[in-house]
This record gives sequence, C-alpha cells and structure tokens, in this order.
Amino acid sequence: MIQVLVNSIVYASEIAIIAVGVSLCYSILRFANFAHIQFAVVGGYLTYSFATIPGLALPLPLAMLASAVMTGLMAILIDILVFSRLRNTSAEGKMIVSWGVALFIRSIVAAIYGGSARVFDVPSSTIVVGDAVFTTLDVIIACATLVLMVALHLFLYRTRIGSGLRALASNQELAVTRGIPGDRLIRLMWFLSGSLAAIGGSLIAIQTRLQPSMDLVIMLPIFAAVTIGGLSNVFGAVTGALILSLAQNFLIWFDFGTLLFGDPWHIPTKFRDYVAVLALVLVLLLRSRSSAAAAKR
Amino acid sequence: MLDFAVYSITIIAVWSILALSLNIQFGMTGLVNFGQILPFALGAYAAGIAASLGYPWWIGALAGLIAAPLIALLVIMPAQRLAQDYWALITLGAAEIFRLTVLNTPALTGGADGLNVPRIIDPILAMTIAVAVLIVTFLLAQRISSSPYGRMLRVVREDEILASTLGRSPIRYQASVSVIAWMMAAAAGVTYAHITGYVAPSSFTVTETFIIWTAVILGGPGRNMGVIFGAAIIQLLGVSSRFIAQWIDLPPDLIANLRLASFGLVLVLMFLYRPQGLIPEAKQVHDAERD
Repeated sequence: MIQVLVNSIVYASEIAIIAVGVSLCYSILRFANFAHIQFAVVGGYLTYSFATIPGLALPLPLAMLASAVMTGLMAILIDILVFSRLRNTSAEGKMIVSWGVALFIRSIVAAIYGGSARVFDVPSSTIVVGDAVFTTLDVIIACATLVLMVALHLFLYRTRIGSGLRALASNQELAVTRGIPGDRLIRLMWFLSGSLAAIGGSLIAIQTRLQPSMDLVIMLPIFAAVTIGGLSNVFGAVTGALILSLAQNFLIWFDFGTLLFGDPWHIPTKFRDYVAVLALVLVLLLRSRSSAAAAKR
Repeated sequence: MLDFAVYSITIIAVWSILALSLNIQFGMTGLVNFGQILPFALGAYAAGIAASLGYPWWIGALAGLIAAPLIALLVIMPAQRLAQDYWALITLGAAEIFRLTVLNTPALTGGADGLNVPRIIDPILAMTIAVAVLIVTFLLAQRISSSPYGRMLRVVREDEILASTLGRSPIRYQASVSVIAWMMAAAAGVTYAHITGYVAPSSFTVTETFIIWTAVILGGPGRNMGVIFGAAIIQLLGVSSRFIAQWIDLPPDLIANLRLASFGLVLVLMFLYRPQGLIPEAKQVHDAERD
C-alpha cells in the first residue's frame, strides 16, 4: 500500500514537472504544444552530455542546471523562429506546426545520439519503510519536484512578472493595452516551460534510461495529466498527474483475481498507458456533457 | 531503373490514398486527426490476421473495411462537441493504444515480430492494384469535394456555428466524413500488407501519421490533386535518400533521421511561408440563384 503511494508520487513528480509547461503554453498561447515533449528529451540528452563529455564532466546537479538553461534558450529560439510568426494563426494551425517542430527536434536528437539507450550511472541506496522499498533517488526526485512547483507557484502568484503572466493568460489583448510587455513575457514563459521540461526529462532519464523514443513513452501520460487537470490550469496539471499516477498504480496493484474468481490476478504493468488513455476519454466524455456542450450545437 | 519506377509508383499510390483520406478530414472538414495511421494499421492487420488464420484475402479486406468505420465512430464519441485540441489528442491516443495492443497480444498479432501476409510477387501486378485502389479513392474524394455534401463539409470547417444555424449538425458531418476517410485508409492498409508481405507495429507509429500530414500540408490542404502531388514528393524524397546513402557512405539510420528532420522542416516552412500548399484549393463561388 505504501509502496503504491510512493511509486505514484515519484511517477507523478516526473510527469507533473513536464506537464506544467504544456499548461503554461496552453493558457497563454492557446494551443496544445506537442513539441514540448521533445524539450524533455533534449533536456535529458543535454544533461547526459554535460555530465559525461571528457574534460567537462560536470557533477549531475550542475549538468542538469546547464541543460535546463540551454533547453530554455532553445525554446525561446524556437519561439523567435517559428511560433512568434504564428500568433494570429488558428489553434489547429499552431498545433500542427508544433508537430512539425517535434518531428524535427526528435529526428535531430536521434541523428546526433543514435538510437541506442544510455544509462546514467548514479549511486543510490535503498530505503525500506514498512513493506515499501524505494531508493534515495526516488526521494530526491519527489523533493526536487516539490521545491520547483512551490517556487513556480510563488513566482506566478507573488511576483509582478508572475501576475503579468497570469494577466496575459486571462486576457491577452487587455493585458497588452494595459502596458504589460506581452512578447517579453511570452519569451519568459517559453524559457520557464523549456527548462522545467528539461529537468523533468533528465529526472526520468536518470531513473530509467535515455532513448530517443522516450517521447512516445511519456507523451500519453503527460497529455492525459494535462487534460485531467483542465488544459489551461498550471496547477491542475500537477493534480492531474497525481490523479493519473494514483489510478495507474492502484489499478495495477489491485488484486482483481481474488475479487472476481478466487485466484490472485493483477492487471499487467504493460497496460499502464491504457489507463492514461482511458482517463483521458473519461474526462472528455464527462466534460462534453457539461461546459462544452453549451458552446456547440 | 524500370523496377525502381514501378516500386516508386506503388509506394506513392499507397501513401496518396492515405493523404486523400486525411485531406477529406482535415483539408475539407477541418478535423485534426493525429492518428490517421490507425485505420491504415487496422486494414493491414485485418489482412495479416485473416492470412494467419488461413482465410482468403477478401475476408481480411472485408474485415478491415468493416472494422475501420466502427472504430472511427468509437473514437469520435468522446471527442464530439469538443475543441480540435481534444480531437487531436483522442485520435493520437487511439492510434498509440492500437500499437500497444498489437505489441501485447503476440498470440494473435505476432507482437513486435509482426505477421507474414501473402505477398503479390509480380511488381507490375502490385503496382496495378495499388493504382486501381488509388483511382477509386480519388474519384470518391473528387465526388465528395464537388457535391453539396462536400460544400457543407467546408461550411463546417469554416464555421461550425454557421453550419448549425443552417440546421445541419456539424458532428454528423464530422462523423460521416471520418467513416469514409477511415475506410479509405483501411483499404490502403490492406493493399500495403499484400504488397510488402509483412505487417509489424513499427510500421504504424506516430511518425508515419506525420509523414501523411507533411504530404497534405506540402501539397495543399483541401485540394485532392494537391495532396497526391505532396505524397509523391515526400515518397520520392524517401526512396531517393536511400540512394544518396549508398553514394555518400553514411549510416542508414542517420539518413533516415535526417530525412524525417527534413519532413518536419518542410511542414514548418510550408506553414510559415505558403500555408495554402503547392497546389492551393480553388476558392469556390456559388451562385445561389443557379445551384
């Protein structure tokens, strides 16, 4: 039981830290940015490079920081080159372009690093609490995410720049006419979401492994988490990640066999992603009955 | 050289059917389907599973053509009355779930190893069949495009509320056009399976969906001839990059990745500089007094 909670929190932390960027982008620029998943992959690979290149070999926390800054700058660059020119395009248009950007980044990463998996060599010891077994790395991941989320909250709700960002999210035109520097804050948003994604991607890579195809593994849970939380709500993404992660881990942990036929039987772990899509579908079905129903038809 | 031309035409024909099927959804109706590879995979796997169970080819083809519209309706249900972002997510999720299901049910689908399908040995015959399916699909797409139904699809694309005020339910048009489009893609899948003689989950990933998207955006969304042109360019780029790999001694997976990167770049650049595509949709003007 404690094991399920611990697994859920660690997994939710990794997903949430990437998912908030999708929400930030959606709330300010009003489109689902599929390229965001690639920021996490790029961040993971940059961390790996900074930590392993001979002559540089930064300690891991520093490597992650450098990777976060680089990925944030890359996100700004992509905004300057691509998305800033599409501010008046429809949401579908921006979404399709974000796919093109994603395909480009993913292929370039795969071309540079090759398809083989890489593993971070991180010493980590095991902690036993009751019947639960986890590692110091798990604790670090959960704590790092908690600190970053609290920092993001304080930034958005306690600083002038943060309230500027929230003003942009709630009414862009009004915010700009009231003298809020729209373009500069949008660039800041890209930097923030890019660097958070880089940290999230690095954490996932450190815990499991680094592969160009990891985007496909994290894509469904991240978009499911963001959808559960309501696309444009930054902290909804965190809640969504927690709900999704708890649902996934509990369904896999629960002994359906004993309940139904008397013999122990669990849902195999490989069906995790089904839970993500199922949750997504459920949320959409419920939502279509309420708010969105009034808008159409 | 002739072999190469025959092979190219076959591949271009199969991908043109997919491009046409995406075009009647996105180009005409404005539906952002990020899982268009799903009906293609359904068709291919229907052919593969039928073959592995010992049934003749037409049973597989029939199964694919029946399964695709049913799954289309199932996928559309949660997405109805929702914004395009959700539509894209649902179709993307459905395609990934199908791929995972195939991977996790090796007894039926061969898992990651895939299934063997009876292959059309004669390349000329394979090309003829692929082109024949393409012609049927193209005529159907053209018929839809020029019919009152097609005009209504464009109204739904431009303004769903306007469509509603005309007394038409946008979701009915969106659902019916998806059913037609998914059957087209399933037909392409059945053809593909019998041409390559092999189906495996690695051929039906998100990347494949994106190759179809690049073809449609490049050729010109909304114009059937345009998207076939787009598919032809993309597939010629694809097959010719293999020769480039042989000339300038580079590892094949590097070339494959650079090719995909160039597709992504083409998509972005087209959207930035020529969103109407190489062969744009002609603006339709109708005289209310006459038609």
